[in-house]
Amino acid sequence: MKHLQIYSIFLTMLLVLSLSLPLSYSHLYAQETLTNISDPFSQSKFVPDIAVIVDLGYAYNSQKDFDTYERPGFIHHHDAEEHHEHGFFQDNGFNFNYAEISFYAPVDPFFDLFSVVHAGTDGAEIEEAYFTTLQLPWGFKIKGGKFLSAIGRINDRHAHYWDFTDLPLVYQAFFGSQLNEIGVQVNWLAPLPFYLLIGGEILKGENEASFGTEGFAPGTPYSAVEDAEYPNVCTSYIKTSFDLGNFTLLLGASGIYGKTRTNHSIDTAGGHAFYGTSYIAGADITLRYDVSSYQYIALQSEYLYRYKNGDLYENSGGTITKDDFTAKQSGLYSQLIVRTGKVTRLGLRYDLLAKNDMSDNHEAKENLPRYTAMAEYNPTEFSRFRIQYSYDKSLYDEYGYNKINHQIIVQCNLSIGAHGAHSF
Amino acid sequence: MKAKSLFLILTVFLTVTIALTLTHVVYAKQLHIVTTYNYIASITQQITGKNATVTSLASPQFDPHYIVPKPSYIAKLRDADLLIINGAQLEIGWLPPLVRQANNPLIQTGKIGFLDLSQFVKKIEVPAAVSRAQGDIHPEGNPHFYLDPYNILLLAQAIYERLCAIAPENKVLYTENFTAFTNRWKQKVAEWDASMKKMHGTKVIEYHKLYDYFLVRYGITLAATIEPLPGIPPTSKHIATLEEIMPDVSLILQDVYHPDDAAGYLSKKYAKPVIVLPHDVGATKDVTDIFTLFDSIVRRITHD
Repeated sequence: MKHLQIYSIFLTMLLVLSLSLPLSYSHLYAQETLTNISDPFSQSKFVPDIAVIVDLGYAYNSQKDFDTYERPGFIHHHDAEEHHEHGFFQDNGFNFNYAEISFYAPVDPFFDLFSVVHAGTDGAEIEEAYFTTLQLPWGFKIKGGKFLSAIGRINDRHAHYWDFTDLPLVYQAFFGSQLNEIGVQVNWLAPLPFYLLIGGEILKGENEASFGTEGFAPGTPYSAVEDAEYPNVCTSYIKTSFDLGNFTLLLGASGIYGKTRTNHSIDTAGGHAFYGTSYIAGADITLRYDVSSYQYIALQSEYLYRYKNGDLYENSGGTITKDDFTAKQSGLYSQLIVRTGKVTRLGLRYDLLAKNDMSDNHEAKENLPRYTAMAEYNPTEFSRFRIQYSYDKSLYDEYGYNKINHQIIVQCNLSIGAHGAHSF
Repeated sequence: MKAKSLFLILTVFLTVTIALTLTHVVYAKQLHIVTTYNYIASITQQITGKNATVTSLASPQFDPHYIVPKPSYIAKLRDADLLIINGAQLEIGWLPPLVRQANNPLIQTGKIGFLDLSQFVKKIEVPAAVSRAQGDIHPEGNPHFYLDPYNILLLAQAIYERLCAIAPENKVLYTENFTAFTNRWKQKVAEWDASMKKMHGTKVIEYHKLYDYFLVRYGITLAATIEPLPGIPPTSKHIATLEEIMPDVSLILQDVYHPDDAAGYLSKKYAKPVIVLPHDVGATKDVTDIFTLFDSIVRRITHD
């Protein structure tokens, strides 16, 4: 105890001394401080490029309970909690969709680093955080971290660069929103006189809409299903493009393979779970004609097909059943975007979930279409106001009745800071 | 059967790819230079002669700030030994993702294969404070510096020096070409100076702050721009303020890519001529290289 007291007295004295010494000698170096105004340890010039993008708006839905309806065979709401994905305009009335904060800077001569933080009213998450290589020879590049997969035409596009307020139904159905995973990507730009990009990814594969890794216990008499092995998903893609004057054609094809583990409350009556494998194949085409610097017409179509095979466990009032299950499903969209002038853009989109062919399916509906139109006013590249109407025939209530939804959305998207340019 | 035809398709595809790759490797032996704009390509060709392939990306028919980042540009950048850009953020809206996607270590910023011309000239209209409330401004100053004929020699010198650093084996040829270009350019500048003398003190308006370096060089006063702020299309309110100064203005300068309805309206109402000026090589039919670019500008603006 005594030691402690002596020690604290000593410390206090030291403190007083250390404070008083500089003060008593301050006249000696006051002059120095005035002349020496450099800041040798400042690193403020190394601040990365930072951008903040805010997206909000107002939504009207003629079906007040639209968010509880299903797209049979594709999107359902057995467990609302688990299906929480960051869709936008989920509520009627005012919606705050997100504030996106992005950072970019070179790490050193060998790597670039990108990071995007996606913040909503109930929390923030890392949407993307990845490095890319800068020095690999022979046209190779490696990307690693958490990123939006390069499959398809629009999977790697951030929300502020979408042509409509929402993603096509097929993206919502197959990926929840987009295939955004942790993993590694390698791409190779072929040494050809035209654009040909070939790439592949190995991903963790937690995306629950098509894959998922967590095992589950279906209950007696069936033994528990083990977790899928990591990494669970691999993808490959090829893209090529040709110009003819002001015409640009871009073609792409992609494939995804992964193990699927989904558990929608198998332990409660009416619940179900799935154990198996999913394959997705996609093809896309974009044809764009640039009329002038501020006017263009772009036609874009994409088709995705999913083959899913495995064991389906169902809980019908406490009894667990297991059946072989195969689903062959597909979806497509086709859109036309016309930029009529520097500040205005118009768009039409036809969306379809189709070929809903499942081995045990009483509720599957053949075709689930949606029609969307939008008009945009862009005062500058940094602000956008959009009005969108969609006629959605893809929604069904729990009794299997088709519920046609008319949706009107007014969207406002603003960005500040170092907003980077977009790719084609 | 199915597997067999699939195998056949794959073989054909691979053969074609390999053949194309081989031809490409042979053709790749020459020095590959990619420039963002035609005027840079034209200066570069004056120095390299036929000793290099020079490819320019942006179409001169389009607004240099808003070029469509076509995937074909990525393929061109992939093979470049040297990328020469205008800089001063003229390419900020379209070039960065292309360079990133080109998977080419030679042309990354800071490398010898990356040349930013804006570093070699003194820029005008450098804003004291930067805010997007002032429109789409360029923090480093007006990026259209190459429209002053006196700056072209500074740019040519920078390109010449970089070429010598990249391909020292061609230094003799480059020096010969550069000296010839310098002499011819000085001669032409003297001609242009003589023709432009009578324009001193003229008052003009233009759509965008595009020809400012040229105007400053020849003592022409810019009374106003048709766009109220950089990148913002004209409003009726702004046109009304232009109408107040129109009686004092002698010429309306118009580029090839902005809408010309406002210029047409003012021209008709105040009987002032609209002069369409090329801003880059290829923007108008008579402009085939860096010499004819200024020939054309001088001829058009002086009505000769």
